[in-house]
Amino acid sequence: MAITQEPKTPSAPIGGDVSRRSFIKGIGSVVGAAAIVPSMLRVASAQDAPAAAPLRAGIRRYKATGQALTLKINGKEQKLEVQANATLLDTIREKAGLTGCKEVCSRGACGGCTVMVDGRSINSCMMLAVDAEGREITTVEGLIKDGKLDPVQAAFCEHDASQCGYCIPGFVMRSRVFLNENPKPTLDEIKHGLSGNICRCSTYIRIFAAVTAASQGVKP
Amino acid sequence: MSEFWRPDDRMALENDHPRYDVTEKVTGRAKYSTDYYPDKLIWAAFIRCPYGVAKVTNADVEAAKKAPGVLDVQMDKMDGVYCGDHLGTICAESRQAIEDGIAALKLAFDIGEAKTDPLKQLPPREQWANFTPPTGGGPAGRGGGGGRRGGRGGRAASPEEIAAANAAATGADHMIEAVYETQVQTHCCLEPHNVLVDYRGDHAIAWGSSQGTFAYRDQLTRPLNLSADKVEFHCEYIGGGFGSKLGQTPEGVLASQMSVKFNRPCRVLLTRKEEQLDTGNRPGSIQYMKIGVSKDGTIAGGRMVAFGIAGAMSGGGGVRAVPRYKMTTPAVSSAMDVTLSAGGVRPMRAPGAPQYTYAYEMLMEELAQSIGMDSLEFRQKNDVDPVRQEMYKVGAELIGWKDRKASKDQKGPIKTGFGVAAGDWGNGGFGNATVTVNIYPDGRVEVLSGCQDIGQGFRTLVGDCVATTLDIPYTYLAVKVGVSNLPNGPGSGGSSTSRTVAPRAFLAAQQARDGILGLVAKEMKLPDASKLKIEKGMITGDIKPMAWTDACKLINGQLTYTTSDLPEGMGQNTQSQCVQFVKLNVDTETGVVRVEKIVALQEVGKPVNRNTIENQITGACIEGIGYALFEDRILNAATGVMNNANLEMYKCPGAVDIPEIVPVIWRSDPNSPVNAVGEPPSVPIAGALGCAIYNAIGVPVRKMPMTPRRVLAALGGEKGAVA
Repeated sequence: MAITQEPKTPSAPIGGDVSRRSFIKGIGSVVGAAAIVPSMLRVASAQDAPAAAPLRAGIRRYKATGQALTLKINGKEQKLEVQANATLLDTIREKAGLTGCKEVCSRGACGGCTVMVDGRSINSCMMLAVDAEGREITTVEGLIKDGKLDPVQAAFCEHDASQCGYCIPGFVMRSRVFLNENPKPTLDEIKHGLSGNICRCSTYIRIFAAVTAASQGVKP
Repeated sequence: MSEFWRPDDRMALENDHPRYDVTEKVTGRAKYSTDYYPDKLIWAAFIRCPYGVAKVTNADVEAAKKAPGVLDVQMDKMDGVYCGDHLGTICAESRQAIEDGIAALKLAFDIGEAKTDPLKQLPPREQWANFTPPTGGGPAGRGGGGGRRGGRGGRAASPEEIAAANAAATGADHMIEAVYETQVQTHCCLEPHNVLVDYRGDHAIAWGSSQGTFAYRDQLTRPLNLSADKVEFHCEYIGGGFGSKLGQTPEGVLASQMSVKFNRPCRVLLTRKEEQLDTGNRPGSIQYMKIGVSKDGTIAGGRMVAFGIAGAMSGGGGVRAVPRYKMTTPAVSSAMDVTLSAGGVRPMRAPGAPQYTYAYEMLMEELAQSIGMDSLEFRQKNDVDPVRQEMYKVGAELIGWKDRKASKDQKGPIKTGFGVAAGDWGNGGFGNATVTVNIYPDGRVEVLSGCQDIGQGFRTLVGDCVATTLDIPYTYLAVKVGVSNLPNGPGSGGSSTSRTVAPRAFLAAQQARDGILGLVAKEMKLPDASKLKIEKGMITGDIKPMAWTDACKLINGQLTYTTSDLPEGMGQNTQSQCVQFVKLNVDTETGVVRVEKIVALQEVGKPVNRNTIENQITGACIEGIGYALFEDRILNAATGVMNNANLEMYKCPGAVDIPEIVPVIWRSDPNSPVNAVGEPPSVPIAGALGCAIYNAIGVPVRKMPMTPRRVLAALGGEKGAVA
């Protein structure tokens, strides 16, 4: 991994009250994964944290400028030069050139940037690229297998589930993950399952129809 | 059931296939202007005023210029008049550098008093019945229930007319005097306003999110100092516009200036906050109504006074009033705009109409209630439009109107309400548009129009017009739209794109068909092609049937047909009548409203593609749910700062808010040409929801959004915020 360990560096206190903004802005000194999601902490500590320093668990140090990360996107490992504070979304779009996922609200309120990370749907605007290292990242472009659309994509097509289409990659990714977790959902479960995504053209009814149809089709 | 509509009637061009570009959209291959990252890209942004009214007391331009990655900083003015106002511009190597540069400016402000309360600018409430705007301050008019379009010129009502109108209201058996309020709604286009301009010395290529390919290009020519033919503008895909991406583009001008200055491609991409503050909105309104009604349900007339609530930089708060119901003496209406220290107005899906319709339909409901008449019967008695009269019958059956009960006759805390509202949209004139159809020897057909597909399905519409006329499978078609070097066409405003372009697409396709048949006739040594036709991809007639692809082999190079003409029979005006029914539940203990079902009957002229039409109708209904129940631009009363300039506290409707929706494509005139459907279905929905809530709880909620708090307040006896 292209992460430098400097365990003796005194670190700023990392706590639950660190906002995402100040947290990202604080890059150049220290990044703590604990402030975001506990699951990230687990990954970080397993791979990086020295066993002898439990108080420093999950704290890593990055260079402020160009950092080479290896990200596995759509099954392909890519070495990408990123700023330490780059979000996964920006990295996927700008560096990996996969522009299916969109930046809409840039704070996790709309689901437009949804990608799959280790099988779970996440808002890629809320995750740092460095935290995605060593994980399986799948974008909407990666759902196509052997030139064939994923059943969710095919159902979205068949039901004309799009208008302007800007939210659709996010909806497709969330629907794929949702159906993996709940293969036979009721309409109500679909509504709740997709409630983190916004479609301003309001194509919801067609989206529900597509997800229902996909749930009755083949599992990938 | 009506003779105008049958559930199994395809009516349309039999086109039920998904939109042409749906695969591009579900795979992420559709490239929006935000999706291009050219080499040497630079970024530019506006330095914005963070308060409603503020004077800059410190701006360290030199320090900002020295910040790493910053290329250019300029302060243009020191006084901001709304939160989000442009004070200057900055250009830098990256978005991070823009943030750093703005931080290095160390902006400081003297914060002034922001105008956030429209009532402070209005005459006292007791004068509204006799209100007429100061000279030149707004329009007046008369008609069977409302004046002409607000915000435009008109004759001011005389004191005598006003007195007569007031007398008509007070002299009737019953009178309703009420004030209805609507809030400011923002567009929330998911793709922010953005543009990428790449100036290359003697020409430029630009990608932008726009509702008007050609108008946008023309705006770039001036800062680029290039003629229109040297600027190629792309907007093949647009992530929503809803009216806010028409008109002026300060972003395009800035990106052009910086691209010229640094000879590099420059992007301006608004943040979500900027998007909420400064890309326009549907203005708010305060509407005073005083109308009388007789016991038999005849509306007597009276006063309708509308105050539009506009932003700092613009008027245009106009409440769009059109006569929909008969009145014995036409109501005398007046309108005036007030301006707040806040972001300006831009067109938004049926500008002015939902505001007015909410107030008008609530009033109708209250009038019907006052004389104890069923509100559907009341509308059927008074609605002036014969098409809507038919719609009422079909819609009532589909929603189950016969189950409607008064609030007091329902047991338990959850009450069910039914509501109905009417709408319409003017369709005047046909703009210019040109369509080209190319046919190639391998059977491919190319359809070209520079117009933009903003999500409504324009690409599909022109493709369908051609595929249906040629009667070939649409898989042969490549439809290219949204580039300024393609044939000219209108911007997508006022529900005009389909109406304007479709006739030309039909005509070009007819010419192409005649061209191919002519080639076949010549090959077969027929005297002419009059007996030939194309049926399901085969050339038939007095010859052995020939496949489309074989016929195309006769083409030498390519066949090209371009037309700007309006074919005969396609130039008459069309109608956009609509009626919407709503069924919903209100929890009278919590005030929470759950919409259960909407029936939306919509006249669309000649329906072309069922999917795109139904998606637009249901989309408008859902946006209307947001407008009526959730969405609100909330300003800090003292500073004019928008408190919810984001997508988590500005409440767009989401998946769990979606009811069952039955869109009904209505075609009263089989010879009607194609009409557009972007605007009309967004007109009645807020009114229908308001009326249904009134039915459910037995008291009117006269202020939007009709939140749980306002529902409870109405139940608690607090009528409207002003009245």
